[in-house]
Amino acid sequence: MERPTTEWLSLLFRFALDGLSGQRGRSLLTMLGMAIGTASVVAVVSIGLLGRDYVIGLIEGVGSNLVFAYGTGGGVNPEELAFEDVDALRQRVPYVAAMAPVLSGNELISVKNQPETISVLGVTPEYAPVRNLVVVGGRFLTAAEDAGGAKVAVISKELALKLYGTTRLGEEWIRIFGLRFQIVGVFREGVESAAALQKSEAAGLVAIIPFSTFRNLSGVRFVDVVYFQAVNAMAVPAVVEAASSVIASRHRTLSSFKIESLDQYLVLVQRISDAVSAGLIAIAAVSLLVGGIGIMNIMLVTVTERTQDIGIRLALGAGRRDILLQFLMEAGILSLLGGIAGTLIGAGLPLYIGFLYGIEVPVSGISVAVAFAVSVGVGLFFGIYPARKAANMNIIDALGYA
Amino acid sequence: MSRRQTTAIRRIPDERVDTTAQPLVEMHHIAKTYQRDGAAVTALRGLDLMIRQGEFTAIMGRSGSGKSTLLHILGLLDEEYEGTYQLDGQLVSGLSADELSRLRNRKIGFVFQSFHLLPQLTILENAALPALYAGKRPRDCRAAARMHLERMGLAERLDHRPMELSIGQRQRAAIARALVNEPRIVLADEPTGALDSRTAMEILDILRDLNRSGTTVILVTHDHEVGEAAERIIHISDGTADDGVA
Repeated sequence: MERPTTEWLSLLFRFALDGLSGQRGRSLLTMLGMAIGTASVVAVVSIGLLGRDYVIGLIEGVGSNLVFAYGTGGGVNPEELAFEDVDALRQRVPYVAAMAPVLSGNELISVKNQPETISVLGVTPEYAPVRNLVVVGGRFLTAAEDAGGAKVAVISKELALKLYGTTRLGEEWIRIFGLRFQIVGVFREGVESAAALQKSEAAGLVAIIPFSTFRNLSGVRFVDVVYFQAVNAMAVPAVVEAASSVIASRHRTLSSFKIESLDQYLVLVQRISDAVSAGLIAIAAVSLLVGGIGIMNIMLVTVTERTQDIGIRLALGAGRRDILLQFLMEAGILSLLGGIAGTLIGAGLPLYIGFLYGIEVPVSGISVAVAFAVSVGVGLFFGIYPARKAANMNIIDALGYA
Repeated sequence: MSRRQTTAIRRIPDERVDTTAQPLVEMHHIAKTYQRDGAAVTALRGLDLMIRQGEFTAIMGRSGSGKSTLLHILGLLDEEYEGTYQLDGQLVSGLSADELSRLRNRKIGFVFQSFHLLPQLTILENAALPALYAGKRPRDCRAAARMHLERMGLAERLDHRPMELSIGQRQRAAIARALVNEPRIVLADEPTGALDSRTAMEILDILRDLNRSGTTVILVTHDHEVGEAAERIIHISDGTADDGVA
């Protein structure tokens, strides 16, 4: 074509703006439809990400780079992890930053003259960092207390509240295995609702005492579970592998043991969140589609209303392509501005609410870009039919001769 | 083709017509039939027409005479007809809609009965429109539009929208728009149809002045008084040779 392309497009763009400015109210309403569609897509993706981050936070709150091994107690000849197994694991599993075997049992105590069952855990001092425990009052167990079989206990926040109505304890004692234990601290789990995922041994009414003390006083022969904290996320599979082979070498079969990491839960969460997100996006996309149909509808009305305008332009020498592009641009501008507004609303509102409530709201840059591109694409797609209708008008009819 | 089937064209001889000037419009055996309510209506039957450069021609005829059809073909608005049409030495019958669009833009300036100015644009923007569609630089388009509007006495009204002008001013703005691309022909379709008689005279004077300064003007009208403004009158009547001439 002999026409200078960019100048020509900018001219048609000006004609498109002229056209839209002749019908501001209607254009704004159409853009609103597009904005809502785009905003819902962006917001829905954010909501999906927020949910996923929340669940991942819960899982990772159980302990970072965590691997745990335990006997299931099932099968014909159930086997459990013995103390010798723990020693072997301690010696032979590489890439472990910290290891924490756990003994557990139940104890009936008296709370305000009512019997109450609590869990008693026997752990080494590493248990606190490995399981992300937070000491809210006093201190955790020391290595010396573990080595010396001291009769000290750290109790869960729930138990402290139940017993004393506060987590700020003075000199208090608790009766476990028929003996008096001094309460030296109060803890809570790093992520308190971690229990929602799987029953956590540290959730609820719990008293934690030194591993050796528990072992000596209870006569227990097996550990409940052994936690490993791998040196980093990359080492997690190697730790699982090594722990499995150590246990396998010491038992007839691995079938009554579980050696797991949180990775599988993370993968599961990722999969569920992807599926949920896809469903939500599909629903939000419907509103985008409705917005697009709104554009088509309004452009059809516009084309009909501006029949004479189109006829005049054609008579004065506009090519069919010029008219087509002008009306495509009008639809494109509507959806572009609607898309921008929707992106701002869809990304801005969650960020603002997050700011108000101090939550970190994830806004996916990709989802913003995709929603934006899709909304413009939808506008252009639904603009094609009206624009073609405009461009293919019969000049004589359009001029009002018919 | 018998005489009865031929659209009657009656030329009024005029000594002012320069028979040596270049033919601008040459039509041979133009025929057009269209469907209306399922019936075939013949609008033109083998029409021959020649208009030379610099002429001021009126095409006259009653409603239904085929005059409008001729106007559409002349103005390159209609490409579906039989026969040959040469405009400014170029064969235009059989060209595509887009090619006609470009020729129309450059060679023909339209003046319509109801002005057909775009209401949302100022008259400067309106007058610049054909130049913009011709792909000229916007600044040149505005300059040309301003020049023609000033020539039409609208220098003070450039930024007014059509509705803010009198109907005479609107038609003058439309004439400025018709002239902005320096067309070979100004094709005026009942240009005085919407005007009172005083304004009508004013518009006809403008068309005459245009013609005197060298522009070929074709005036399509049913009004004898208006037709008299032209130096040559072509009468069209449907199929009847002895249709009366005023």
